[in-house]
Amino acid sequence: MRDIWDDEQLLAALREALEADEAVPPEFIELGKNAYAWHNIDAELAQLTYDSIDEPQAALSMRAEAASIRALTFTSAHLTIELEVSEDSVLGQVIPGQSGTIDIEGREGTTATIEADQVGCFLIRPVPDSPFRLRFRTADGSDILTGSITL
Amino acid sequence: MRDDSSVSALVARAQAGDQPAWNELVERYAPLVWSICNRFRLRREDIDDIGQTVWLLLVEQLGNIRQPAALPGWLATTTQRECLRILRAASRYDSFGSSADSQMLRDQSGPEIEQEVLEAELHAALRTAFAALPARCRQLLSMLTSDPPRSYAEISATVPIAIGSIGPQRARCLEKLRRSPALATLGDLDAEDGEGGGTRASETGGARHA
Repeated sequence: MRDIWDDEQLLAALREALEADEAVPPEFIELGKNAYAWHNIDAELAQLTYDSIDEPQAALSMRAEAASIRALTFTSAHLTIELEVSEDSVLGQVIPGQSGTIDIEGREGTTATIEADQVGCFLIRPVPDSPFRLRFRTADGSDILTGSITL
Repeated sequence: MRDDSSVSALVARAQAGDQPAWNELVERYAPLVWSICNRFRLRREDIDDIGQTVWLLLVEQLGNIRQPAALPGWLATTTQRECLRILRAASRYDSFGSSADSQMLRDQSGPEIEQEVLEAELHAALRTAFAALPARCRQLLSMLTSDPPRSYAEISATVPIAIGSIGPQRARCLEKLRRSPALATLGDLDAEDGEGGGTRASETGGARHA
C-alpha cells in the first residue's frame, strides 16, 4: 500500500487522518479516558445477556399489551438482575431474591442508593436519562456491578 | 490477522493497570467511534452516551482480549450495535418514524463497516507515523495539509526555509513518513483500491451526508 502511493496520495491521506482526529471533540475523548476508572473494580461484573431492544419485531408486537417498553437482563456467575422499563420507572428484580442496597452509578458517580426488598425487588423512579450502572451489595458481602445501561 | 505490535503493547499495558496506555488507545480509536456514531446522525448527547458505553464495555473486556489486532473491528461493531440500540429505543417513542429511520435501524452490511475499520487503522497509523517525524517535517507537512492549503510563499515566510527548498524538503519528509515503522504493519491494506486514500475517503465523506 505505502509503496504504491505517490507523494500527492500520501499527503491527501495524511490530511484526512489529521482532519479525522481534529473532528473529535475533546470532551468525547475525556469520557473514554475516564471509563478506565472502572478497571479492576472490586466487584463481580454482570453482563447484559438480554435486551428486548435487540429484537425490535418482538418488542413492537408486545408494546400494545404491556406497560413495559423494554426489558433487560444482566447475568453474573452468582445472580441475575432483571429490569423492566416503563414510561416513568424501572422495576428491578434480583434473582435469587435477596435484600441488599443498590447504588445507581451515573457518569459523575453515585446518583442514588435504593434498597432491594427481601424478595429482591427494587424500583427506580424516574427513569435515569443518562447512562448508569447498578451496583448491588448485600450484607454477606456480595458485590455485583452491571454493565452500562442507556434507556 | 495483521499483527499490530504497538496496539498489542498498549492493550497489554492497559490490562496491567497503566492509565496512559489506556488514554493512548482512546485517543487512537476515538475518531473511529465518533465517525460511526456520526453516520447514524445521532444527537450529540446520544453520541456521548454511546462513547461512554463502548469504552466501559472495553474496560470490562480488557482481560479477555486475545487478539489485540482485532480491537478496531470490535470497537466498530460494538459502536454500531449501541447506535442501533439508541435508534430503536427512540423509535419506540415515535411510532411514526420515517422510512429513512427504519432503513437506518437495519444492521449495516459487513463490507461497509470493514472499510471504515480499515480506514481508521490507516488514519491511526498515519497519525502515529506523523507524530514520530522530526519537528521541521511536522511543521512543513502541517502547513501543506492545512485547509486552505498554504502557498510556498506563505510557508517560506513562516518556516525559515527558502522557497526553492520546500519541494525537495516536502519529498524527503513524505519519504520519512512512508518509511515509518508505524505504517509497515499495514501491509497491503487497500490492495483492491489502487486509487489510494484520497478518492476513497472523499467517497465515504459523500456517503456520510447523503
